[in-house]
Amino acid sequence: MQLDTSARPSIAGPNASGLGTSIKAGSGKSFDRKNRLLFYNRFFKLACIASAVFVCLILFGILFLMFRTGVLTFRDVSPMTFFFSTDWSPEKDRYGAFVFIFGTFALTLLTLLISVPLSVIIAVFLAEVAPTWLRNLLRPVLDLLVGIPSVVYGFLGLTILIPLLRDITGTNMGDGILAAAIVLTIMVLPTISRVSDDAISAVPRKYRDASYALGATRFQTIFKVTIPAARSGILYGVILGMARAIGETMAVVMVIGNTPQLADALFKPTSVLTSNIVMQIANVPFDSTWNNALYMMGFLLLVISLLMIVLVRLLQRKGAHS
Amino acid sequence: MKWFKSLSVAALAIALVSTSVSAVGAASSLKGKIVINGSSALLPLTLQAANEFKKLHPKVKISASAAGSITGPQSVRKGIADIGAVDWDASQDVPGFKKFEGQVAHKVAIIPFAAVVNKNVKVEDLTTKQLQDIFSGKVTNWKDVGGDDADIIVVNRAFGSGTRVNFQMKALQGTEFISKGNNYKEVKSSGDMKTAVETTPNSIGYMDLVYVTSNMKALKINKVAPTEANVVNGTYKVWGYGYYMTKGEPDGATKEFIEYIQSAKFQNGSLKKLKFIPISAIK
Amino acid sequence: MKNATGAARSPFSSGRGINSFNNRLFTAFVWSASAAMVLFILALLYLILQKGLPTLTWDFILGLPSEIEEGGGIGPALFNSFYMLLISLFIAVPLGMAAGIYLAEFAPNNKLIGFVRICVEGLASVPSIIFGLFGIALFVEMFQIGLTILGGAVSLAFLNLPVMTRVTEESIRAVPGELKQASFALGATHLQTIRRVLVPSAINGLVTGLCLIAGRAFGESAVIILTAGVTTSGEMWDFNLLSPGETLAVHLWYVQSEAIVPDAVSISDKAAAVLVFVILLFNVLFRIPLWIKERNSR
Repeated sequence: MQLDTSARPSIAGPNASGLGTSIKAGSGKSFDRKNRLLFYNRFFKLACIASAVFVCLILFGILFLMFRTGVLTFRDVSPMTFFFSTDWSPEKDRYGAFVFIFGTFALTLLTLLISVPLSVIIAVFLAEVAPTWLRNLLRPVLDLLVGIPSVVYGFLGLTILIPLLRDITGTNMGDGILAAAIVLTIMVLPTISRVSDDAISAVPRKYRDASYALGATRFQTIFKVTIPAARSGILYGVILGMARAIGETMAVVMVIGNTPQLADALFKPTSVLTSNIVMQIANVPFDSTWNNALYMMGFLLLVISLLMIVLVRLLQRKGAHS
Repeated sequence: MKWFKSLSVAALAIALVSTSVSAVGAASSLKGKIVINGSSALLPLTLQAANEFKKLHPKVKISASAAGSITGPQSVRKGIADIGAVDWDASQDVPGFKKFEGQVAHKVAIIPFAAVVNKNVKVEDLTTKQLQDIFSGKVTNWKDVGGDDADIIVVNRAFGSGTRVNFQMKALQGTEFISKGNNYKEVKSSGDMKTAVETTPNSIGYMDLVYVTSNMKALKINKVAPTEANVVNGTYKVWGYGYYMTKGEPDGATKEFIEYIQSAKFQNGSLKKLKFIPISAIK
Repeated sequence: MKNATGAARSPFSSGRGINSFNNRLFTAFVWSASAAMVLFILALLYLILQKGLPTLTWDFILGLPSEIEEGGGIGPALFNSFYMLLISLFIAVPLGMAAGIYLAEFAPNNKLIGFVRICVEGLASVPSIIFGLFGIALFVEMFQIGLTILGGAVSLAFLNLPVMTRVTEESIRAVPGELKQASFALGATHLQTIRRVLVPSAINGLVTGLCLIAGRAFGESAVIILTAGVTTSGEMWDFNLLSPGETLAVHLWYVQSEAIVPDAVSISDKAAAVLVFVILLFNVLFRIPLWIKERNSR
């Protein structure tokens, strides 16, 4: 049967490939209908594949654009200097990007450290603990936080959070990775918790019922059954949140201080890849080494987030095996 | 999703109609498209001029954007903008930037700059030497320049900002800025600078005189207060021209637009209201 | 699970007591942590809304912006926001859903598809400023159409595409396998199954995705500054795709960072309040059909 080759779903139900059989048994017109359905089916699948390919093409387009310009950096700067030197003074032709790379990792890690536990607690609350009316009320409110423009977050960070941090800790400025991590936490919290919430809600009821039937408390059910079952979805939420934290610019740039020095303290003006790109990209000559170095940093940013995603995926697979 | 579809179909239909409508009926015969990019400090001026100009010549389309001064002449060179707004004369070399060959600079406004401090700072007046020492990191405590015993927090604009180039040339006479330290930060725009200086105790920064508010203090430099009158009578030296760059001599709508912005009507009207100083005020 | 069975086996109530204590502690902890978060969110919303909403007038919402005098409005910018959002959703939603359905339903489980998935997630993490640079390279330099609504909307769609893809994939995967098998057993084709069974069952997740990307598109500024400019065409209801397209978020950025008008602070407060209010409205409007459906099916 030629239709076997046309649609072969990945999680094939028993009847999935023999989809035409029941139609064939119908009236005389069924043959036309069958062909039409098959055509739609095939067309739809092609459209889906095309879309998936298109999404990948955009990524490659962007990677190519960044790489094409970025790689020119290495005509003037050795890769060793670029990746491992902490001296970023482009006006004196010194291009060491280590400060920004380190800053990006430090900031992302710190943000996740604060935001993941908080988000998962909120997700559990929304999916398992809260009464329905509260749930229906809170979900849109959380989604709303995603939509608040990062400019507003940055402005609030600059005018409220930083003076607060200054008062609490007695530092001179308050700018630094802690301030940035707090702002980012608020920004990624709705993403992580809403996606985790959906994942936890999607865990089939029977798992929970089975756990309760065994005499487990709600606490045990949630931690031993629900969260492990929703792990993939939660992890996806964390990836999304992490991706946003790595890539966020407009808010971070207002609270991090933008100084090219190593982020070895919580309150020390520093700089990350994104904030440095956005601060300088508009102000450098197009064909200069400086401009190329910024594109290289953009490329690096992409590579870092891709690597982190691969890493999380590997961890996930390891977790699934054990 | 059906309502969504029909809505967007309607939107498309209206789009088609409205474009055909806007093509009919116009007062002036001048046509064309002007793309302006460059300095964000000149953006309010450009937007205001564009609004007035569009009323006079409805067939001219003007789109303006802003990123940084250097973007202006660069976009002009690349051919993606007709006018590049920039805070220095880009047909000459300035610290950090080479000149752009083949571009013509048109003065459009005079922009005064001011050094500002947070309200809690007791200092009223700094000399050029003191400013140089503070912004290059040699003096780090307010008590060394006549203030309280507190660390000086230096807020700077990012490299390449037109305001920074002008302040460095005119107020610091070319002295290099510091670039790191625990009490040093950089901000992205005039608005961010304003917020940072307003909210950070013991901070010092600089900005276009226009942005100075009552929540901060503008310093006298060498005992001269930063006012329009002092700029015009020549005693306050920290100011610069704003320029429009074009590829060769401009023509058509672009030429008309630049002439409009340089006209006495605009210079003494809207430009003054925006608190820039007309180019004719200083010979 | 081990604890649970262990507790059940214990003849004495002590183990159970600790468990129930834990349970109560946990419930209390979750409630208080969430209450704190909710309070915080509400405070944040209040902070943004109370400064802007009370002084909001229709003149401000529909009026033209002004550079010199007080009392400028946000009309064209607000209109552009909606217009661009609509165009970008029109591109991103079908493409993103199709790609997500492919990954969830058709794609074989091999290395290549794993790679595609990483690509999609990678794209989701691309900083918006890089999408802006990409948009400039594509629309301004390659197609030479300048700073336009079209360029901005398409760049926005690119930004939102990966999120829509991944959300679709996740929510379709979360549909229980029995539903799908039942549909196949009834003789439905794969397309019919997707249209009549999978998408309707996954609608909750899809709406979340839609809210996420609509909110993000509405609040995005970096991409639009670079691809659609900081000017509007200066008139209301301008549907021309090639007009410059400053949106509300960009206007907010502009007013906060460069504007000279004396009432800049009040404009930015009001603009921020309008932005947040509109996004709140989206979330409620998109959800109402879901609530009705849920109520009916109960």
